[in-house]
Amino acid sequence: MNCEDLLRYLSDYIDNGLSEKLRADAEEHLATCRNCQVVLDTTRQTIVLYRETQREGIPVDRRSALFGQLEKALAARRSGRGLS
Amino acid sequence: MPPPTPSIESLRAGDPQALAALFDIHADRVYRLAFGLLRERQAAEDVVQETFLSALTHLDQFQGRSSLGTWLYRVAYNASLTRLRERPSELLPPDEPEAGEVALPRSLVEWGETPEEMLLDAEGRRHLEAAISALPETLRAAFILRDVEELSTPETAESLGISEGAVKVRLHRARLMLREHLAEYFGARAAQKEGEP
Repeated sequence: MNCEDLLRYLSDYIDNGLSEKLRADAEEHLATCRNCQVVLDTTRQTIVLYRETQREGIPVDRRSALFGQLEKALAARRSGRGLS
Repeated sequence: MPPPTPSIESLRAGDPQALAALFDIHADRVYRLAFGLLRERQAAEDVVQETFLSALTHLDQFQGRSSLGTWLYRVAYNASLTRLRERPSELLPPDEPEAGEVALPRSLVEWGETPEEMLLDAEGRRHLEAAISALPETLRAAFILRDVEELSTPETAESLGISEGAVKVRLHRARLMLREHLAEYFGARAAQKEGEP
């Protein structure tokens, strides 16, 4: 496996989606290619960084207001339907 | 432990506890996808509202082939795309690159910091925001569902209405584009630290 192949299979390698043979080939290449090892490490770091920073949900002070609005809107639709 | 997903029958019957449980389980996830695409809190809240309202008033169209969760994601994704397309085109990220256009990595420098260290300052966070905002929306959606929400490839495919192969291609491109964008900053930062006495 060369650098171009490794790059093509990088995501599947990270996700454990490669066959045993391809995984072994990738690992053999990574053991001797510092550049590909850096790309692999920094891609993994990228995933971790976003997983840690993009996990915020609805702001606490807005959550119950949003649910209240939804209940009201649903009730309005249901009563509208009942009248028609 | 999260509450069990309410049954379709209880939701169709208008059971208030079922509605509360559905909102508890899925509202944050729907919000994160919408915020991930729109990058605005108010717009993301509007999508949450629209998604639940639309899904709950069209429960008869839910055929049970997918889970309720992926069905809600699908509604939220389409609602977010509609809003994005209403924005002036200069505010939109570029379209998805054509097949085979994955750029070779340019920055090959180790970042030399743990993610915790990298997130300590506002500047690092600004670069994260800039990188994800610059990603084409279709790639961003695949990245958020797979790598942030940790959905499986089949679940992501179902949520976005695309094939599993397309999810893999989009995720791969998204990861490489984000890495490249961040590497310009974190790589330079690592090189600078190394040069410090």
